[in-house]
Amino acid sequence: MGRIHTFKQHDKIPGRVFIEIDQDACTDCGMCLRANICPVNALHQPEDPWPREVRRILSNPFIEFAGSQVPGRGTEEMKTNDVKGTFLPGEVGIGIELGRPGVGAYFRDVEVVAMALMGANIGYQLAMENPVTHFMSDKTTGKLRDDVLNEKATSAIIEGKCKIEKLPEALAVLKGAAKKVNTVFSVEVITKVPPEGEIPIKPILERLGFWYSINSKNNMGLGLPAFKFYSDEK
Amino acid sequence: MTHSLHRRGDFESLKDDFVVLGCPATGVNKKGSAPKTQKFLSICYKHGPINLGDMKTGNIYNTTMDDILSRVTDGTIVQCTFDNREKIVSLLKDLKENRPGISVIISGVTDLVQQCMEEAGLGRIHSLEYSLGTWGKTERLSDFQILETVTMCGHAMISADLVRKMVRDVKRGRKTVEDACLELAKCCTCGNYNLTRGMKLFKELLSKYMVHSLY
Repeated sequence: MGRIHTFKQHDKIPGRVFIEIDQDACTDCGMCLRANICPVNALHQPEDPWPREVRRILSNPFIEFAGSQVPGRGTEEMKTNDVKGTFLPGEVGIGIELGRPGVGAYFRDVEVVAMALMGANIGYQLAMENPVTHFMSDKTTGKLRDDVLNEKATSAIIEGKCKIEKLPEALAVLKGAAKKVNTVFSVEVITKVPPEGEIPIKPILERLGFWYSINSKNNMGLGLPAFKFYSDEK
Repeated sequence: MTHSLHRRGDFESLKDDFVVLGCPATGVNKKGSAPKTQKFLSICYKHGPINLGDMKTGNIYNTTMDDILSRVTDGTIVQCTFDNREKIVSLLKDLKENRPGISVIISGVTDLVQQCMEEAGLGRIHSLEYSLGTWGKTERLSDFQILETVTMCGHAMISADLVRKMVRDVKRGRKTVEDACLELAKCCTCGNYNLTRGMKLFKELLSKYMVHSLY
């Protein structure tokens, strides 16, 4: 997230310079501690109570969020689609990861995007086990708890799904929200690939002129027991 | 959780970059999944990953394979990074024969992953996730050359400043390229940092970044 420390002169020892971490900019990811970079072992991380606690939950990959039972910032999403059937044919998963890559995001910006998406009336269903969903005071509007709004995370993901025909509207809403936030967000879309024919979201993205990556995350369908997506599946 | 999805680079840069994940499913096969995940990890190890890890334990550059294996519990998600497609084909053939039962996910160039699956006799990709890139205040992002390196760790544990420091250290003769990249690899706990690609990118960075003082 760039430099979040400042050099300061010690007020009692002349000539002594020390580094102070900007506590507002720090997301408590714990990386500096794990890397053991301080030559005089002066770094420490206090166990901060709520609401600052959310910084660690979202930013430190070593910490598992009890709601998702998955370490990291999100859920199992498409990773276990082959056994859970989270994303069915005709549905599209949409994830918005605020602060990624490497910028960080305050929850007030997360709320802007969540409320835009929930207010668009496109039937966007939030992933209930996701940490950001958990921090919402109103899951129908995407409003976050007031006490977390000024907290910051290395990144925070809004996860959910809607019908595939609503994808253009969802992306238009996100385009608008992108102008209102003081950070970046990475957008991802998930689809079940049919046994034959085109990947359903590709023609939509191409028609609307949205760039999508040449690399993707791909479920191999090797999980057991396999979820039955089609009635004629063996 | 999309930490292996948003890797930056063109086809040439990404064609030898694959992250393979083994993930048990909560409420389906998570209970009793530890031996299946250990089996998956052992199969992956046989095929020569360049990196491998579990986000709660660390990767092979800051701990050992035995430690990672022994600390697998029900629900542990493990990841192995490979630096060429031939290894992916042989790995998929092995996983098809010796199916561990947990979900297997591969992040990589879509067309190449599909080709590998066909060569291994696995048919079509089951489900897929595309990145639509980064939106919003993109002027706050680091340079693309730095992003190519730091986005290999999706949890953003490799900071842009650390990459710049490593460039300075190498230019000042304090570190070799390999040592600098190993330091970056240690930060990416999950083991998603592809050391082979990382060293290639780092060498390209060296010629692009000016260091104002060598001392």
